[in-house]
Amino acid sequence: MEKWECIVCGYIYDPQEGDPDSGIAPGTPFAEIPADWVCPDCGVGKDMFEKVE
Amino acid sequence: MKPRKIKDGIYWVGAVDWDRRMFDDLIPLPDGTSYNAYLVQGSEKTALVDTVDPAMSQVLLGRLSRLNLERIDYVIANHAEQDHSGALPQILEKYPQAQVVCTPKCKGMLADMGLVAKDRFLTVKDGATLSLGDRTLEFIYAPWVHWPETMLTYLQEAKILFSCDFLGSHLATTDLYVTDEGQVCEAAKRYYAEIMTPFRKIIQRNLKKIQGYEISLIAPSHGPIYGRPEFILEAYHDWVFGEPKNIVVLPYISMHGSTRQMVYYLLEALVERGVTVKLFNLAVTDIGELAISLVDAATIVIGSPTVLTGAHPNVVYAAYLANALRPKAKFVSIVGSYGWGGKMVQQLAGLISNLKVEILDPVVVKGYPKDEDFEALDRLAAAIAEKHQALDLQP
Repeated sequence: MEKWECIVCGYIYDPQEGDPDSGIAPGTPFAEIPADWVCPDCGVGKDMFEKVE
Repeated sequence: MKPRKIKDGIYWVGAVDWDRRMFDDLIPLPDGTSYNAYLVQGSEKTALVDTVDPAMSQVLLGRLSRLNLERIDYVIANHAEQDHSGALPQILEKYPQAQVVCTPKCKGMLADMGLVAKDRFLTVKDGATLSLGDRTLEFIYAPWVHWPETMLTYLQEAKILFSCDFLGSHLATTDLYVTDEGQVCEAAKRYYAEIMTPFRKIIQRNLKKIQGYEISLIAPSHGPIYGRPEFILEAYHDWVFGEPKNIVVLPYISMHGSTRQMVYYLLEALVERGVTVKLFNLAVTDIGELAISLVDAATIVIGSPTVLTGAHPNVVYAAYLANALRPKAKFVSIVGSYGWGGKMVQQLAGLISNLKVEILDPVVVKGYPKDEDFEALDRLAAAIAEKHQALDLQP
């Protein structure tokens, strides 16, 4: 599954790990994360993420 | 304290801070700085674009008083940071009809800082316009140059982009417009290096966003106005889109001379192989110079002795800063020395985890370097030169 990077702080969202602290279960693809989710490291929204090539 | 005219009804009303030598108690300002504010008069309304550092609010008020304004209708707050919004309280007191025009995010920040009462705001959306009568301001969201709330203001009829911190330079000068492009390029690069580097990918988006605008002048919030906008736009394009260059940045500390021997040997070995080296003794380095060199470098080699089981604190500081700036370097290595033990390499490697780099074999010696250590430095230099050649990096 595709990893996505926060272009503000460099945090990588890895779907295999999810973001359990924010209620995102492991195995959740980036596209299925709710729109109001924010970067756990710096707090910006999903629009500041880019797919890791 | 007179306003300086840009066009009929458009004035620079900012303050030049010749004496300031430090920003945020972090960033050296060898050339001082300026806080630019601009007044735009339309046939119906008058707007002030940004204010100045609160320490110089009297300069701004003094220049405005020379214009004998009946009122100011709008104060555009492109950016909430104190050096541009810190004089808002004095302006709002002097001009009681003025509304503060900003993004919703900026409103929250200005309220958090207690600078503006809640009933004085007029928030605007990305792309919104505000008529001054025969002149029109357009607001362009530009997040992360360099805070999340930042916007730019475009004066449509005169084609002036008030770019706030974006594209600015810390430079105290009597020049209203850029005259010495070399000097301004260096100051703007320092400014970019110190506060914009981490947001390179977002700046790419912002540069693309303003490509669609016809721009005759770029009026930033620090440094002189760009009468030739392509000069600064091309420089930024190179800094954010360009590949790293055939350069090694070599920041180091040496306590008893061993690490110094190593870095000077490595420097010569790299130069022999056609690689440019920028050497910084961190005991005497202006950290801004180091940041500037990180904008273009393809490789960073950190040199450190071992003290109290780890790297020298100055080296730790530089590594921490490089990690926070996330420059576009592709390779990193560490050279240095120790007397009896320690974990200098592991510690430094742990400090630069943000950098997406290939680590080249470190060279760490006990005591002073010997023949086999110099051979290891030759191998490191050869590896760096080979990596740079493989990527066809330009000087």
